[in-house]
Amino acid sequence: MPGNGKQPLLECRGVSKYFGGLAAVNNVDFVVYPGEMVGLIGPNGSGKTTLFDCLSRVQQVSSGQIFFKGVDITKKKPYQIAHMGMARTFQVIRVYRKLTVLENMLLSRQWRGESLFKQLRPTHPRTEKRARELIDFLMLSHLTDELAGNLSGGQRRLLEIGMALMPDPDLILLDEATSGVNPTLIEQIKDRIRQLNQEQGKAFLLIEHNIHFIADLCSRVFVLNYGEKLAEGTPEEIINNEAVIEAYFGT
Amino acid sequence: MDQFLQALINGIMLGGFYGVMVLGFSVIWGVMGVINLAHGEFVMVGAYITWVLNKQFGWDPFWALIVVIPIMFVLGYVLQHILINRLVERPHLISLLVTFGLSIIIANIVKLVYTASPRVTDTALKGFWRVGGVTFPITKTYILLAALIIMVALYLFLQHTRMGKSIRAAAQNKEAARMVGIEIGKVYALTFGICIALTGAAGMLISPTQAIFPFMGPPLTLKAFAITAMSGLGSIPGALLGGIVLGLVEIFIGTYVPGVGTNLGVVSSFVLLVVVLVTRPQGLFGGLKPATEVQ
Amino acid sequence: MLRPLVNIWQRYRLGRWGLLLLVLFLFLLPLPQFIAPERKLVTNSLLFSFTQMFMLVTLASNWNLTGGFTGYVDFGHAVFFGLGAYGTGVLMNKLGWPFWPAMLIGAVLAAVFALLIGWATLRLKGPYFSIAMLGTFVAMREVIRVLKPITGGGEGLTLPPYLNRPLFYYLTLILAVLVVSLIAWIRRTEFGASLIAIREDEVGAEMRGINTTLHKITAFWIAAFLTGLVGGMWAYQNTFIDPDVVFFESRTVELVMMTMLGGLGTVAGPVIGAATIYWLRDVVWANFLQYHLIVQGLLLILIVLFMPEGILGTLGDRSATSLNRIVRKWFGLTRNGTEGV
Repeated sequence: MPGNGKQPLLECRGVSKYFGGLAAVNNVDFVVYPGEMVGLIGPNGSGKTTLFDCLSRVQQVSSGQIFFKGVDITKKKPYQIAHMGMARTFQVIRVYRKLTVLENMLLSRQWRGESLFKQLRPTHPRTEKRARELIDFLMLSHLTDELAGNLSGGQRRLLEIGMALMPDPDLILLDEATSGVNPTLIEQIKDRIRQLNQEQGKAFLLIEHNIHFIADLCSRVFVLNYGEKLAEGTPEEIINNEAVIEAYFGT
Repeated sequence: MDQFLQALINGIMLGGFYGVMVLGFSVIWGVMGVINLAHGEFVMVGAYITWVLNKQFGWDPFWALIVVIPIMFVLGYVLQHILINRLVERPHLISLLVTFGLSIIIANIVKLVYTASPRVTDTALKGFWRVGGVTFPITKTYILLAALIIMVALYLFLQHTRMGKSIRAAAQNKEAARMVGIEIGKVYALTFGICIALTGAAGMLISPTQAIFPFMGPPLTLKAFAITAMSGLGSIPGALLGGIVLGLVEIFIGTYVPGVGTNLGVVSSFVLLVVVLVTRPQGLFGGLKPATEVQ
Repeated sequence: MLRPLVNIWQRYRLGRWGLLLLVLFLFLLPLPQFIAPERKLVTNSLLFSFTQMFMLVTLASNWNLTGGFTGYVDFGHAVFFGLGAYGTGVLMNKLGWPFWPAMLIGAVLAAVFALLIGWATLRLKGPYFSIAMLGTFVAMREVIRVLKPITGGGEGLTLPPYLNRPLFYYLTLILAVLVVSLIAWIRRTEFGASLIAIREDEVGAEMRGINTTLHKITAFWIAAFLTGLVGGMWAYQNTFIDPDVVFFESRTVELVMMTMLGGLGTVAGPVIGAATIYWLRDVVWANFLQYHLIVQGLLLILIVLFMPEGILGTLGDRSATSLNRIVRKWFGLTRNGTEGV
C-alpha cells in the first residue's frame, strides 16, 4: 500500500491553472509519499509541465492547494520551496552554459535558511567536496572543468540532475529526464535514480514519455489528459487501461 | 465643472497628438523588434525642418508637411539600410544602446548647425473658439485633426494596401512572410521610412505649440515608450487610446495638483508606466507579454 | 621574506589583477608629490583629471554590480549620482552642514531611493527595466527642478567653495580602490556567485534556492550608495549644481559604455573601460570640442555593434559577459519557456 499510512510528502488538492480561459491543469488531486517513485505521464499538451510549474511555484495556481511535508506551500516562493527540500529539473534544460560543470554544481548548493551575511564568504570546502562527489556519482568527472554549454544533451541532463541533488532534497521533480539521451546513458540514469531512492530514501516524481523507464522505476503512475487526471495505478494497470490507450493513440 | 471640461478637452487634444507621435515608435518596435531611443530626435528634426521652412520661406507649418514627410521618409530609408538593419531581431538592449548613441549624434549635429537657442514657429491658425465656458485653441484643434487624419491614413494603408499587408504579415511571422514571397529586407526599409516620416510629421505638429530646441527629444521618446509599453506594440488604436490616457493624466495632474508645472509630464508618464507594468503586466488593454515575469 | 606575502596573496586568490591594482595604487599614491612644486598643487589640472577619472572608475564599477554581475542593465544609474550630489548640496547650502556628514547622508538618500524604486523596477525584465530606470533619471531631474524651495530649482545651488585638488585626488583614489576591491571580493563570495546565477538564469536560480529579490535589491542599493558618495564628492568639488549639469543626459549611458568597453561582469573591465574612455574623451575634447558628444555617440554605436564583449572579453576573459548573453537569457526564456505540456 502506498505510504503505509505515513504522512504524504507532497499533496495536491484540486489544483487548477488557467491561462486566460484555457485550463491547462484542471482540478488535479494526487499524493506522493516519502521515498516513493511516482510517474506522471500523458500526451503532449496534457499539462504535465504546467503542473510541475505549479508545484515548484514557478507559476501561480489558479485554484486549489498544495502541501509539502504538511505545510501549505500554495503561495510560497520558489526559493522557499527549494529550502524546504523540493528540487526540480526542466524540460528545456536549464544549466549555466557559460560556466563549468563544477561551477554549475557549486551554484546549486544548499542555501537553506542562510541570511545574506553568511553568504559573504567564499565557497566552503565542504560544498566543493559534495559537488565533486555528485559529479563522480553522475559519471561526469572527466568533464568537471568543461563549460556546460559544450556538453552533449545527455550529459547536460545529468548535470541538471546533479544540480537538483546538490541541496540534498527529499523530493525531486524530474521533467523528461530521458528525452534526448542515448539508451546506454538512460540505463545509467535509471540506476542512479534507483540508488538515490533506495539508499537515501529520496522521493521522485517523474514526467516521462518513455514508458519502459517509468514501468521499471515507479511503483505508481498517474495519467493526465487535457489537464485532468485520467487514471492512477501501478504501471501494469496503467499500460492496460483502455482510457489511457485511447488518450495516447486517439480513436 | 468648466475646469473639468476644459481639462478634458485639453487632455484629449494632447492625447491625440501623443497618439500620432507614438505611431512611428510603436510600429518600429512591433514590426522590427527595434526600440528606437532616437525617436524624440526625429520628432525634433521634423520640427526643425518646419521651422526653417517657416522662417526662411514664410511657409505656414501645416504646409510644411508636404516637405517634411518625403524628407523624413528618405532619411529613414537610408538610415535603415546603413544602421538599423543591424539591429533588427537582435536583443532589445542592443537597439536601445545604438539608438541612444544615434540620438546623441543627431541632437548634437542639430545643435552645431542651429545652436541650442529655442526656436519658435508661427502659424496663421491662431486664436480660440469659445463654446460655453470652454476654450478650444484653434491651432491645437487643427493639430488634432491632422493627427487623426494621419492615423486613419496609416490604418487604411496597413489594412488595405499590398505593402501594408506585407508589413503586417512580416510583423506576425517572418518565416511565413518570406515563404509567400515577401521581401523582408525591403519591407523593413519601407516600414522604417514610413515610421520616420510619421515621426517627422509629429515634429511638424508640435512646432506651433512650443519652442523647439535640439535637446527636446528625450521626454518625447520616454513618453512614446511608456505609451507603447502600456498599450501594445504596433497597435494603432492602442497608440491613440494610450496617448489619450497619458494626455488626460498629464493635464489633470497639471490642473488639479497645485504648484506643479507641465514639466511633470514626463514624471507622470513614468509613474504611470511603472504602475501599469507592475500591476497589470499584460498592458492597459491586455494581450501583452508580461514585462515582469521572466517566463 | 616574500613567502608570507605570497601565501596571503594566494589564500585570498588576489591573482595577477590584484597585483596590477596594487602596483597602480602604489604608483598613484605619491603622484601628487611628483607632479608639481608644492604651491601649484592646489590647482593642478592634472590632479583634477585624475580625480575625474577615479570617479568614473568608481561609477563604472558600481554600475557593473547591477548591470554586469546581476544582469540588470540600468540606464538610469546616474540618478543615484544626482541624488548624492543634491543631498550633499542641499545639506551644505541650506543647512550649513560640513562636507563629510553631508556626503554620507547624500549617499544614504541615494540608497533609500534605490530601495524604493528597486522594489518596483527590479520586477521588470530586460529593456523595460532599462527604460524604467532611464525614465526615473529623467523624471528625477524634473522633480528636482520643481522642488525649488529645497533644491534651488533651475537656478541651482552653490556649495561652499573649497579648492584643494590633492584632497579630492586622494579621496577619489581611495574610494576607487576600495570599491574595486569590494567588487573583487564580492565576486569571490557566495553572494557574488548568486548574482551571477541570477544573471545567467533567474528562474533556475530561484528554483535552486536563491532568494532573487533579496539579492537583486541588495546589489542595487549598495551600488546606489557608492554612487551617491561619488555624487557628493563631485558636487563639492564642482561647487555648483543644477538639474541640467547634474542630470546630464549622457552621464548615465556613459557608465554603460565604459563598462561594456572594458568587459561587462568582470572586475577590471569597468576600470579599463573608464580609463580608456576618459583619456579618449580628453583627447577629443582638446581637439574637437564641439564634436565631442557626437564622437561619443559614434563610439557607443561602434562598441555595441562590434565589441559587445569588451576588451577583456575579446581577450578571452571568461567572466566577461556581453549584452547578447544577458539578453539571450530573456529571449530564450520567452521563446522556449516552460509552456504547458
